[in-house]
Amino acid sequence: MPPARRRRRLRRGLATPALLGLPVSWLVLFFVVPIAIVGAYSVDVYVLFPGPHHFTFTPWRTFFSQGDYFPLFVKSIEMSLSVSAVVVALAYPLAYFLALSGTRRKYVLLLILVVPFLTSYLLRVLAWKVILGSQGVVNTFLFSTGLRAEGHPLSFLLYSRFAVMLVLAYVWLPFVALPIFVTLESIDRRLLEAASDLYASRLQAFLRITLPLSLPGVVAAFLFVFIPTVGEFVTPSLVGGTSGYMYGNQIVDLFQTGFPDWETGAVLSLFLLAVILALTLVFVRFLRAGEARTA
Amino acid sequence: MDVALSPNGRRLMRVFFALVILFLYAPIAILLVFSFNKSVVPSFPLSGFTLRWYREFIHNGGMRSALEASAIVAALSSVVAVTLGVLASVALARRGFLGKSLVTALLLSPLVIPFVVLGIAMLLLFHVLGVSPSLLTVGAGHIVISLPYTILVLLPRLEQLDASLAEAAYDLGAGPLRTFRWVTFPLILPAIVSAFLIAFTTSFDEYAVASFLVGTRETFPIFLYGALRFPSQLPQVIAVAVVILCVSLVVIIGAEVWRRRAEARIEAA
Repeated sequence: MPPARRRRRLRRGLATPALLGLPVSWLVLFFVVPIAIVGAYSVDVYVLFPGPHHFTFTPWRTFFSQGDYFPLFVKSIEMSLSVSAVVVALAYPLAYFLALSGTRRKYVLLLILVVPFLTSYLLRVLAWKVILGSQGVVNTFLFSTGLRAEGHPLSFLLYSRFAVMLVLAYVWLPFVALPIFVTLESIDRRLLEAASDLYASRLQAFLRITLPLSLPGVVAAFLFVFIPTVGEFVTPSLVGGTSGYMYGNQIVDLFQTGFPDWETGAVLSLFLLAVILALTLVFVRFLRAGEARTA
Repeated sequence: MDVALSPNGRRLMRVFFALVILFLYAPIAILLVFSFNKSVVPSFPLSGFTLRWYREFIHNGGMRSALEASAIVAALSSVVAVTLGVLASVALARRGFLGKSLVTALLLSPLVIPFVVLGIAMLLLFHVLGVSPSLLTVGAGHIVISLPYTILVLLPRLEQLDASLAEAAYDLGAGPLRTFRWVTFPLILPAIVSAFLIAFTTSFDEYAVASFLVGTRETFPIFLYGALRFPSQLPQVIAVAVVILCVSLVVIIGAEVWRRRAEARIEAA
């Protein structure tokens, strides 16, 4: 078919702007505009209470100068980096086993692994609250078996940084195996066979072929955990107590407690968003570079 | 020789896999056990079998009304999200148009926004617009969250489709809507069902964004979060948790099996 005729044919479908109009306007109205309003708040251009207000960086200065906010951000980054690292390290062998061991029923096993992720998040956190409490399953089990004296529960289990990290790792582990599995699955097995024909050991083949080729999946998996956990506030508020308090909780408190400070809350939100956006862009660049190399 | 795993390595990984599965399912199993336990405090030793907590939650009006509210929000928001997702994916499946990468980035960007930020941003928007919080505002937020997921499910499916099928329909005189209804839609139906289920379950379970946008009528996660503060309600919450976890397990596995079969049938045809 001549190209001109073909193009005319394709154009017989609905026009692209007609298709994109609704979804794009929905996101502009309920996603882009709201974030712009947060931006306006953070520089005092728009505030809830009437009165004179001018453009100012005061809320931003408060954020960086006032002792609490930035260190809390660093603490949340640390917690979420460690959770992501542990979870990726645990998920890698799972994905490797499913993708490369040649096991039959690998999709069934994958489904079994991922299903807990698809069930209720809040209820899985609840389960850990029941398990870890000072009158919870672990402690009362220790009492009733005499491994620990009654009245001396392991108190670090709940309302601690440990609890937050354990629960976050539990919640995200099944999901993280997915992107790693997908990249491992797409590796051409002939590369490994070639390596083995050339007398590479399994370890050498893994380090020089499998691992580098699966790196995009690993990085994606890492970000898939890191991005939602760094701004997390639900899990810390349920199992974190004071020592598990995270940056996300601070944002919520700035908006919802008795002494709201929406301007500073807006600054904290935007700062978090900026960090995550930067990370995402770096990741997309990394993926593109990888694609260009292999192409 | 197997180049990926030695026999011992394989054995080791199988054990590791089994341990992780145990770790993932043990908390759910523990909830199941304690939902039948007589004592109000979920602790060892077990104090006898009862169905009392299940009976109590069935008669708990607040919990039922919250479940109902969540079902309404989830149904509405997932229908809208899937509709918007289909429109967007049909457009994105076409070859390049002006601003395609920008539009794609916009449509997928809610994937990376922290929910706390989205919740606050939408709260401020509704303040500015003077809209009071209600189930509708929650639904609007859930659509923003689910839309990119529906596109991630639908777009690959649409890209796989053979363009000549739609062209054949046009040649036979069908307009764009009829072509979609009778050619494209049946072919992507399994993906639409998947997208709908993902959007529905996401909304039904969503707490973070809803906590900023909810009005006086509570959704189920909001109710649940509140109930967690009262130890006397805990056993009922555990019972309802077990019911919801079991239902979602059955639905997810059933849907996955159905999708596999349906897509295999479409491939074969």
